[in-house]
Amino acid sequence: MVDRHIDFSGLRCPLPILKLSSLYPQFKEGEIIEVAGDCPTFEKDIKAWCTKLGKTILNIEKSGNKIKIRIRI
Amino acid sequence: MEKHPCPFGGYLKCDNPDCEYRYALSEVLHLCSDIIDKIAQGDCSQRIDLRVDRYAVQRLIDSINRLADGVASTVDLTHELAVGICEHFDVLRRLQEGDFSATATEDSPLEIVRMLGALINKQKEAFLRYIDEIRRQNEEIIKISEQLNTILSTINIAVLISDEDMTVEFINPEFEKLTGYSKEEVVGKMKWTDFIPEDMLSKMMEYHKLRRISPSSVPAQYDSKFRNKKGQIRNILLNVAMIPYTKKSIASIIDITERKRINEQIIHSQKMEALGVLSGRIVHEFNNILTGITGFSGLLYNKIENPELKKYVEKIMNAGEKARDLAKRLLLFSRKEEIREAQEINLNSYFIKFSDFVKPIIGRDIEFKLNIPEKEIFYKIDPTHLEVILMNLITNARDAMPEGGQLTIGLKELSLGLEYSYAHPLVKPGDYVVFCVTDTGTGMDEETKNRIFEPFFTTKPRDKGTGLGLSTVYGLVRQYDGHIHVYSEPGKGTTFKVYLPVNKKKKSAINTEALKGKETILVVDDDDHARSFITSFLKEYGYNVYEAKNGTEAFDIFGKYKDEIAVSVVDLILPEISGIEVMKQIKTLDPQAKVIIMSGHPVEIKDVDFVEKTLSPEEFLMKIRNKIDKKD
Repeated sequence: MVDRHIDFSGLRCPLPILKLSSLYPQFKEGEIIEVAGDCPTFEKDIKAWCTKLGKTILNIEKSGNKIKIRIRI
Repeated sequence: MEKHPCPFGGYLKCDNPDCEYRYALSEVLHLCSDIIDKIAQGDCSQRIDLRVDRYAVQRLIDSINRLADGVASTVDLTHELAVGICEHFDVLRRLQEGDFSATATEDSPLEIVRMLGALINKQKEAFLRYIDEIRRQNEEIIKISEQLNTILSTINIAVLISDEDMTVEFINPEFEKLTGYSKEEVVGKMKWTDFIPEDMLSKMMEYHKLRRISPSSVPAQYDSKFRNKKGQIRNILLNVAMIPYTKKSIASIIDITERKRINEQIIHSQKMEALGVLSGRIVHEFNNILTGITGFSGLLYNKIENPELKKYVEKIMNAGEKARDLAKRLLLFSRKEEIREAQEINLNSYFIKFSDFVKPIIGRDIEFKLNIPEKEIFYKIDPTHLEVILMNLITNARDAMPEGGQLTIGLKELSLGLEYSYAHPLVKPGDYVVFCVTDTGTGMDEETKNRIFEPFFTTKPRDKGTGLGLSTVYGLVRQYDGHIHVYSEPGKGTTFKVYLPVNKKKKSAINTEALKGKETILVVDDDDHARSFITSFLKEYGYNVYEAKNGTEAFDIFGKYKDEIAVSVVDLILPEISGIEVMKQIKTLDPQAKVIIMSGHPVEIKDVDFVEKTLSPEEFLMKIRNKIDKKD
């Protein structure tokens, strides 16, 4: 069950991870968030962000250009 | 866009080498546009993998590929920068939330991101050091605060802290003890002024004001008075200071009531001592003059015949006698008389017999009571002195009860400990015989009480008292190293308690036969009386004695007769060579020599046998006998 959905569609990388970082203080530990984006490097950036901050990627779902990634905070 | 005529889809996707549209310029340009669009959307992986003959077209394709490479590199850098910022942002956020386990990485390929990470880590370390320092200082402050609290709580000085408006903010347990109020009753509820007696208040308030305006102009410490919960007034020594950085005052309060009383006792005793010396001196000079007056008037009386003149001379002689009597009584006060007639008296019997004399003196209006213990009390005293003391006290008691009342005489034995002697510095601890004379008469105020023992001080009408009665009592009691305690309340009565010290010497129950011996003893003492006294009783018990006045003589005698001398008895204090040194040198001459050191008071030195000079001859001999027989 996803606690929050954040849609970064239309934003070019690396804006989605910068936005995600600024939203991060609002998240609670253990929460599951789903981020969506359509930038070609969106997946790569989100993966790098998760690695650096020690977060777990639960699922990646691609649909056309759009990618949805679930993360456990 | 127009539908493409190529059945294979066109746009270079056709694998037919014979297709007419393949490699057409428009097709290549379309391809280039598509790739540029994708790059623009952020897909930097796009490249054109095509070789064409036309130079201009091939150049366009190569430029697009280089552009893709360049954009890809810039995008990678931007992403590195963004990821680095995100990571450091997160570390800073965690630090801000107090999670000091957060550490920024310093491994980014971008120098600026690495430097930012290093800077964050250094800042964190500096911050941690700062926090550690604050924590250490905080712990130190807590420790100091706890120590101060312990000091304030356990110190035997009452402490009060008051706010600017004089409300009490803190008191310690000693303050509770001093005032009888609890912390709950005082803190925040009372002002310090509530403890000050009315007559002191205006002075204290003035002081309080002055201290706030100009602290150096008023003394920090001064004597004052304090009122406790029961309303009793205590004398206090007050020390007041401002607490730095606050408008609060701290006052330390020492109850000096008892100290003041002791000081007054000492001053009183010194005054009495001075009066004693003065009156002794006057009596001495007075007696010299009287000798001339009475002597020559006696001679004159015998020489003249005229009865009229003889009568005048007789009057001179009578006046001289009266003066001599007065001088004698003054002498008693000044303690110049020796106790000659002291004898062991059974005080119980004495007091019972004395009661018979008392009754006619005090009259019928005064009820008489005698409280004596069942146990018989003996005391060595000149009976005349005892009579004078009792008669004076009883006469005073009677005169204090013109309307009648009750007179009680009591007797008991009492042991006064160190504690009592601390509170009464003039009294030595020990056993005492105490007798008291109590009346229910007019009593005295404090001022009169302080002067009653002064010679010629009297509250009686001019012709009723000489003012020498109580001063004689005082002088006599002091002659026996005793002291008098007076308790009096105006309108209620007076009690005189006379404390006479008991000499601890007890009768010996020693078998005198066992003390006899024929050994030779060396007695070393520079005091001729003491030495000859010791020698005489040693000889009486059969011993041979050699006498030496000092260390040099002792060495000579010991050197000559060391095989003969069984024990050497050496005084502790000798001229030139001390008793201990004499003992050491004797032991050098003969390591087996037995030595006993004599002293006027009990002394304890390791490996040294002592004998007190004040012991009875039998006890003294017992010590010597035991030393010879190696029992001690």
